[in-house]
Amino acid sequence: MSTRTCIILGAVALVAAGCQPKAPGGSLVLTQTPVQAEPLQNTTLMDVRYPHGSRVLLLAPPFGRDSVLELSRGLVAAGDPCVSWDGRWVYFAGKSSDEAIWQIYRVNSGGGLPELVTRMPGGAMGPAIAAHGQLVFSSPVPKAGHLSAAQEPAALYGQMPGHEPYRLTFGPDNAVDATVLRDGRILYVSARARDNYRTPKSLGLFTINNDGTEVTAYACQGDGADFVQRPRELDDGRIAFLTAHSGEGGSMAWAESVKSAAPFATRGSLFKFGVVGIRSVEPTAGGEVLASAETRSGLGRSMTGNAKIFRVAAGDASLSTPLVDDPLWNSIEAMGVAERPEPSGHTTAIMPASHYGTVVCLNVNDSSEPAAEGNLAPAAELRVFVPDGPGLARTLGTIPVDADGSVILRLPADVPLGLETLDAQGHVLRHQPPSLWLRPGENRACIGCHEPRNHAPRNIRPLATMHGPAHLELTSQTSAAHAATP
Amino acid sequence: MNLKRIIVVTSSLALAVAGATVGGLSGMREHERIRSGLPNLGLVSCMKCHERGLDSLPWAKPRPHHDSPDGIAVSPDGRTLFIALSDRDEVAEADVASLAVTRRLKVPGGPFGLALDTAGNRLFVACRNQDRIAVIGTRDLKELDSVSVGIRPTAVAYCRTPNGERLIVPNSGSDDISVLSVAPLLELTRTAAGREPYSVAVSDGGRRVYIANRMSVHERLLSQPASEVTVLDPSDGHVLNRVDLQSAHLAEGVTDVPVRGWVINSMVRVRNLIPITQVKDGWVMSSGIAITRHDGSVTQVPLDEANAYFPDPSGIAASPDGRRAYVASGGADVVTVLDLDRLGAWLDHAGEAERGDAPENMALSYRYVAARIPTGCNPQHLALSPDGSRLFIAERLDDGILVVDTTSLKPAGRIILGDRGLDDPIRLGERVFTRARYSFQGQFSCRSCHPDGHVDGLSYDFDGAGVGDNLLANRSLCGVAGTEPFKWNGKNPTLQYQDGPRFARVLMRTDEIPQPQLDQLATYIKHLPPTRTVPWSRVGQPLTPSEERGRKLFFATRRPDGTPIPFARQCQTCHRPPLFTNRLMTSVGTQGAQDSSGVFDTPHLIGVGAMAPYLHDGRARTLEEIWTVYQKDDLHGVSSYWSKEQLNDLVEYLKTI
Repeated sequence: MSTRTCIILGAVALVAAGCQPKAPGGSLVLTQTPVQAEPLQNTTLMDVRYPHGSRVLLLAPPFGRDSVLELSRGLVAAGDPCVSWDGRWVYFAGKSSDEAIWQIYRVNSGGGLPELVTRMPGGAMGPAIAAHGQLVFSSPVPKAGHLSAAQEPAALYGQMPGHEPYRLTFGPDNAVDATVLRDGRILYVSARARDNYRTPKSLGLFTINNDGTEVTAYACQGDGADFVQRPRELDDGRIAFLTAHSGEGGSMAWAESVKSAAPFATRGSLFKFGVVGIRSVEPTAGGEVLASAETRSGLGRSMTGNAKIFRVAAGDASLSTPLVDDPLWNSIEAMGVAERPEPSGHTTAIMPASHYGTVVCLNVNDSSEPAAEGNLAPAAELRVFVPDGPGLARTLGTIPVDADGSVILRLPADVPLGLETLDAQGHVLRHQPPSLWLRPGENRACIGCHEPRNHAPRNIRPLATMHGPAHLELTSQTSAAHAATP
Repeated sequence: MNLKRIIVVTSSLALAVAGATVGGLSGMREHERIRSGLPNLGLVSCMKCHERGLDSLPWAKPRPHHDSPDGIAVSPDGRTLFIALSDRDEVAEADVASLAVTRRLKVPGGPFGLALDTAGNRLFVACRNQDRIAVIGTRDLKELDSVSVGIRPTAVAYCRTPNGERLIVPNSGSDDISVLSVAPLLELTRTAAGREPYSVAVSDGGRRVYIANRMSVHERLLSQPASEVTVLDPSDGHVLNRVDLQSAHLAEGVTDVPVRGWVINSMVRVRNLIPITQVKDGWVMSSGIAITRHDGSVTQVPLDEANAYFPDPSGIAASPDGRRAYVASGGADVVTVLDLDRLGAWLDHAGEAERGDAPENMALSYRYVAARIPTGCNPQHLALSPDGSRLFIAERLDDGILVVDTTSLKPAGRIILGDRGLDDPIRLGERVFTRARYSFQGQFSCRSCHPDGHVDGLSYDFDGAGVGDNLLANRSLCGVAGTEPFKWNGKNPTLQYQDGPRFARVLMRTDEIPQPQLDQLATYIKHLPPTRTVPWSRVGQPLTPSEERGRKLFFATRRPDGTPIPFARQCQTCHRPPLFTNRLMTSVGTQGAQDSSGVFDTPHLIGVGAMAPYLHDGRARTLEEIWTVYQKDDLHGVSSYWSKEQLNDLVEYLKTI
């Protein structure tokens, strides 16, 4: 290709980019589902949330029917949108046909035809945008009714524009509903670690860096209703989310929040008024939230066409007049189209060529949970294991604990790791089911086992730093599979 | 014929040049080997040793000056605000009602800390750069008197005692506290403090003064550091107590809360003994306050939140009714409002274990933080009007004073002092240096470890290939221009390299600092002058006899018995003037059990007297310990023939560099 051709093509591309339509100021991206949806069998979670005919729209002020532009043209179902930080792009999940699987599409916020962004074999859902245009999504799409239990759990993936996707989470449970915090971390929903695989799962909020490092419980760890979805960071420092006692959201969901200042101690209702049937909550640039609520709620899932969009300000005593009220559709999601500050980035420390990560635990005895059977003995050893099928685990090894309770371990990367502290007689003191992982080259730290939340470490030099890390390998000869729980 | 001649001549010349080059290089190598004592140095620049004079360095050249507000004081009637402008050598007077600067007075010596007498007739000014306290008459705004104190006074407090009026002056450079009588203006005594006494609060009706010491000290390597709060009887300067704030450093602010019997320090809770494997959850440091009661008991509580940080806490002020305290966070451009009723209730309710756990509990502060007030760039000093209705916030790098209505906690106006200096790359670089936004969750700034560009006296275990094997002493940035390469392993050729992507990965854990800001940061650092370690009155004066004897030891080439000292082990070889470094890597026998190498960058010695601790991991608490405890086989200079007196002389000389 000649230089002149390159210049011309470049100029054309620049002009085309500059000419891309932009959404009018104050516009909303709206998801609507049909009022009368066919009940579906043996489908995915996304098919339940966004039945055939669901669509993503651009709605310009004053939000009448004549100011609607369909963004998901050509797709049989679409939903779950998010707007890029520069306000130029809308990403959403969509299906091109009833037989197709859900993938992520994007479209210019001012309109146009949707462009396929992901080609994940098991489908993709839940797009979110991190710093530098990194797309984050979940894949595969869980089957309906399997949000909290899956043979092949949905993981979070990252994908830079024009590049292949890469996996970010390696836990044993679904990782879904990602959103990106202003500090650059990805906040998502997954199941809380539990000691027994037969114990019903309950969902909580977790964070990772945008390279999958530093997986950490963020909030909702057994302090309220068990089902949590759609976390969103609000301008006032709270994290809003939907919650329900059972099922996967729907008409009985209500909105709660935690303060980011103390996420484990501040869980409470998002609104000052009681309302159920909340379908979504999205922050606005002005500090208010856009909430989709079903004003005629009933038992079970409601498809009665009464989901409307409301603007709710802090201190409002009730829902006011709906902002969007279309009796022919359920308006279940709405968000503003505006340029917002991009979240922070994260300079990765991952070393792709490495197969290991290192973790330092300052004191395995430092725990907010009592030891098994009230055993007060300090830990003498730490056992590390990985899952090996339902209810089974494979032990990587057992290493001695230093006198101050500290250990440093070099462990296989990108696999869920479980930990057990043992007393001198080999009795299990505390048990951490496989739920954490290390990325290649990651150096990780923790205060203790079941460490107290949101705590900084005491400024004491761990004895384990006086010698090198213990190395534990994952090989086929590691150990025989055994029961995962003591 | 001509062509043949040309070929012969050219070939001869080429051979001659090649021979000269080879010979020259060989000679240079031999010169380097002999002079450095390093056998395999390779080809290095002549400028490594043959450095140009200090005059050409950025910090030695004139630079722009700005109207940065430092200490502030409000008149007893609340109508007038006095503002120290150390960078201008001025004190400004502003009318609180009109928010206008009414008068300015030239006060040589970097006026930094201010205090007024009870009637507001005399303004006492701590002049940091000339080691003196000036007395200003507020009616005519004229300097009335002056007295010398210790090195680098940073604050002054006025109080009445049974023995008369007193001024208490923390001298940050000489680690002592001057106690002055006011009439006559005399220094009565000078009392030893902790390290870098920085601010002072009068308490208990003038019967006690509390001095915050900014730097922490540790007993031995890898032991927990502590900052001292020195408690004095102001009438005669005798020490009533020395309270340790464990794992606290940069304790820059102190205020009295008489209603509650508290003295509150702003402080940084540092965690330098833990490997820096992560930043989240305050793993490296967090900000807090320390509440000291008159019985000496201390409770530390955090200012930070679980997912938001307010670093570099500095100025602190408490309302007269004792219900609120205000803390400036210079790295976050925020003033935090503390509800002391709620904090007091928590303290009353909390058990001993809960109080002990408090400084590490990042989810505690929401219980007692009433508000966070956004400010201009780098708020440091604070003052309240006598009735507590107005809070004055010195926005140091915005050349302004933000006035806040303490009822609504909203801005009530701003006193404009200067043009903000946004056309000055050094000032812009200082903004980068002080802003925490370049670290994950804004947890710390460059200044958090390098207050005023200097050291914090701590060693940190940086994340490396492994965990727990990279303990390194913090190094001063003051006078660092021209001393490249940087870092103890000498791997960073420029400041931009040092503070760029690598720093983002191992420490800041966020995006790297953008290139324009990185260049500004490097410009600022290059303009940081060396720390002055001798009294102002001795600058430019001849050395004392002891210092002169020490100088001769430093430059000694033979022992007293005439035995030559190997070139490689003479002090001056590696610490070659004028920078007192040859900027080469060398081994002085200090490799620790976990150090991957015993070869380290040779640090410069300008201002070395204020750079403790010493050696690459900070194992030597004092200069003396380098030779009394950590010398091995005369590898760090030939010291085996030194007497105790000679070592003292050498140390005295080093402190003058």
